[in-house]
Amino acid sequence: MDKKWTAAKSLFFSRVLTIASLILSVAALFCIPVIAEWYDAVSDNAVKIRTVLTVILYLSDICGIFALWQLFRVLENFAKQRVFVKENAACFRLISWCCFGVALLWLVLMYWRFLAFFVAFIAAFAGLILRVMKNMLEAAVEMREENDYTI
Amino acid sequence: MPIIVNLDVMMAKRKISAGELAERVEITPANLSILKNNKAKAVRFSTLEAICRELDCQPGDVLEYVREE
Repeated sequence: MDKKWTAAKSLFFSRVLTIASLILSVAALFCIPVIAEWYDAVSDNAVKIRTVLTVILYLSDICGIFALWQLFRVLENFAKQRVFVKENAACFRLISWCCFGVALLWLVLMYWRFLAFFVAFIAAFAGLILRVMKNMLEAAVEMREENDYTI
Repeated sequence: MPIIVNLDVMMAKRKISAGELAERVEITPANLSILKNNKAKAVRFSTLEAICRELDCQPGDVLEYVREE
């Protein structure tokens, strides 16, 4: 199989997935009050958390939309063959902060529902991985610059 | 960067244009411009050798160390 063909298709697939996720996240914004109401209706817990859940879901979704937008920018740069650039490292940094932000929000929700810990843990873990990726990308940018500026 | 490239000074002394030097040293004018404007991060010995050969000078005539404050 042609390697370039696979790489191009893979990048295209990633961009399609990112755009689809972005559309879904925007659509989810309109469903959040319904989701929160539904959760309170099916939850066995006597303490109702509709309002706080609505706020946390809204903020998480906004963080998610912002992170997906940054991811889309990274993929756009990849498509333009701009891989090891500072801009991509900055995008990864922002995505990582979004993940930490979501983790913090769900840690707050832990006060009412302990299961929120798992969402917070996954978000924090993703944020950590992205932060390491950002550090690696920054090192790669530095190496590329050194290479480019060696005459 | 405390290493200063004084290429333009030597070029003026030898009355040689950037384009001509780039051609003689066999580097692109863009790379010569990077070198001249102190934007280079490293210089290959082969490049330095070619510059010294074409400008008939020593590496110390082209490179200068300035202590950072």
